Amino acid sequence: MANERIILVTGAAGYWGNRVATRLLDQDDAHVIGIDDTTPQHTVDGLDFIQADLRNPLLVELLQEEQVETVIHLKFRETLTPSESSFEQNVMGTAKLLGACGEAGVARVILKSSQMVYGARPDNPMFMREDHPFNGNKKYGYVRDWIEIEKYADSFHEQHPETVMTVLRFGNIVGPKADTPMTRFLREEEAITLLGFDPMIQIIHEDDVVSALVHAAADDYPGAFNVAPEKGMPLWKALGLATKLPIPILHPFAYWSVSLGGPRLAPLPLDYLRFPCMGDMQRMRDVLQFTPQYTPEETVREFSAQQRVRKLLGKKSRETFEQDRLRDTIQRRKRLRERGGGPKRARRAAQAE
Amino acid sequence: MESVNELEALYNAAATTAVSTNGDEMANASDDAAPPVAKPARKKSAAKKATARKTKTKRARRAPRSARQTLHAQAQAESVLDDLPDVQAELENNPELQKRNQALGEELLHELEMAIKRVMRLSPAYKTKLAVPEGMQEAIDANLDAVTASAGGGSLLKRFQKLLPGEMIDTDTLKGMWTMLKFTGEYQVDVLKRRLKGDYDTDEWGMDQEFIDAVRPLFDFMYNRYWRVSMAGLENVPDDGRALLVSNHSGQLPLDGAMIGIGILQHHPASRMMRALYANWFPTLPFVSDILTKAGQVMANDENAERLLTQDHLVAVFPEGYKGVGKLYKDRYHLARFGRGGFVRVALKAKAPMIPVAVVGAEETYISLHKSQTLAKLIGFPYFPISPTFPWLGPLGLIPLPTKWYIDIGEPIPTDQYPDGSENNLMLISQLTDQVRDTVQNMLNDRLRQRKSIFMG
Repeated sequence: MANERIILVTGAAGYWGNRVATRLLDQDDAHVIGIDDTTPQHTVDGLDFIQADLRNPLLVELLQEEQVETVIHLKFRETLTPSESSFEQNVMGTAKLLGACGEAGVARVILKSSQMVYGARPDNPMFMREDHPFNGNKKYGYVRDWIEIEKYADSFHEQHPETVMTVLRFGNIVGPKADTPMTRFLREEEAITLLGFDPMIQIIHEDDVVSALVHAAADDYPGAFNVAPEKGMPLWKALGLATKLPIPILHPFAYWSVSLGGPRLAPLPLDYLRFPCMGDMQRMRDVLQFTPQYTPEETVREFSAQQRVRKLLGKKSRETFEQDRLRDTIQRRKRLRERGGGPKRARRAAQAE
Repeated sequence: MESVNELEALYNAAATTAVSTNGDEMANASDDAAPPVAKPARKKSAAKKATARKTKTKRARRAPRSARQTLHAQAQAESVLDDLPDVQAELENNPELQKRNQALGEELLHELEMAIKRVMRLSPAYKTKLAVPEGMQEAIDANLDAVTASAGGGSLLKRFQKLLPGEMIDTDTLKGMWTMLKFTGEYQVDVLKRRLKGDYDTDEWGMDQEFIDAVRPLFDFMYNRYWRVSMAGLENVPDDGRALLVSNHSGQLPLDGAMIGIGILQHHPASRMMRALYANWFPTLPFVSDILTKAGQVMANDENAERLLTQDHLVAVFPEGYKGVGKLYKDRYHLARFGRGGFVRVALKAKAPMIPVAVVGAEETYISLHKSQTLAKLIGFPYFPISPTFPWLGPLGLIPLPTKWYIDIGEPIPTDQYPDGSENNLMLISQLTDQVRDTVQNMLNDRLRQRKSIFMG
């Protein structure tokens, strides 16, 4: 147990913390400490769980005592409207955690962020590189919190160049279990869209998100990375694959009603339904050396199949969806085999399956 | 009248199956309906009349198979549109017309009888065509061949010219039109249903080939018929690899880009897809942003242009921007400033040759007399032209004038001889910008010197 890696996962009681901790524990050489301020609903076998708040000043001592090598920061509360409590928890929590990491000399810090920080604007390049400024709309709670967290990460990197700082900016995360802005948008009965606008969006599967986080923890990958499948799809195509009938609304009216009723009316900021906000995946391919396994089509199909099964449609349609899912899985595994020298973690995960 | 009975059976079979779209059912139905059923006389005469009318326009000189197909199509039309009572009544009240119809009908019946016998002898396993657009298309194609082969285009045209207005609106024409419309509609609905299920594909920039195929006929019409574009210098566009087309911009609406693209698609041997870069005001407009993206056009900025060029696309830029497209009529063919030379920077970085393009004729499609600053500011447009027709005539004022267009493509200006990092050399950039601008201006002047008339060329 001499060369055991000690990894601390924040937000271990949440969905992402749970998933990432489980995957890390599958690796033989990892000792995983989970930390969260609430007790987990689903316990993970072998997880060393500690109940604590990230803003606790004694966190430095904990990191030093446990000789934590890698920190994966997944504690994030997604709120639509900017609120003081979520800002306190998300941004101040991250700031305190980063401070503690610098003090304790943690080797690696991995942050989970979103490509939404770039903001959806008409003059955006179609594929934004990681050095694009953060123009996200700060009227939305989680977009604002992500931007603030990224700013803290930037200044932390300047102050502690010896700590490897990895920021993974994911595209729109969709999956049967995850709860993200995009799944909330696709789960609604009526999908509110803007009349005459059909931007391209990038969709990544929840399993690929977990894989990317675990992959980033395995080695030093300094810097920020956009993570999503390279090819996007039009928003209306995603709605079609999710069998949602889009309800187009004239955009001035939509903006007006959202400003009246608060952002709660639309799970996704309207800008993201109007202009493209996509990332350039060159750094993900060349530096991070990570390839998402799911194509966006497969992801949305699986999501919508699960939605329909949940609604207890007839047996026959369920079988069709099962067939679709198996076909996608076969295709995905075939692609993985053809790639051969793909990422180590992904191959191991495929073997484990 | 044994042949008539046989025909009747055939007719009934076709009529009953026209509504179903299943081929197997159709075959069964024709077997079932083989014994002739006694029909009221009126129905028989109506069928005869209907077939007789058909012969009038197309004459009974056609291949046996196509005759049967025509009958089949006829039967479909019959089932779709049961009756148009006014015209029928008129037919019955006019004895002379009836007489003529009867004679023609008998002539056709004879022909059909022969045809059916021949078909049955040749292929006993012959099955009727499916009642789907593809089947219709085939039937029409076969008939057209038969008509042109025997009668020739010239006499067909004469025959059409001889048609009386009254004959143009007879039952069969209307039924035929209705059938075609119905099938087109059904086909479109099928496509729409499929697209609503998300079963279509785009490239990474959002280009949708199905959408392009759907709107292309309109642009082909504008290119070939309306503006009668003549394109010169296509040999300067490479068959593959990156290249940057640099064109003047004019005509209030950015239609010149579409015409260059259509011209290259139509006439270039490699039929390349051109990706034009559009200004950042368009993505804020509903439908415009959607249509431009689906048509393969891309927002103009350095990152996009560079990525497109490194992917070896054919990219078109209009460095004049709004200043060029919103030009006043008195300033026509005077090139505005070529931006800040961003296109040269991108071309140098991607080492792509710059190909100058001069469009003549687009300037006169709209006659902009004045640019209203207040109105433009009010509705958020970059410019608001006031022409003799716009905005006074409303949407009618948007109809462009049918000028004659010339698109000249000049010789490529290579950029690969400059060393790496030349994209930061401001001197070189401004020098190349001026060179391209002068080339385009000279090409415009050359063409204008030769042009005698705005509308006739």
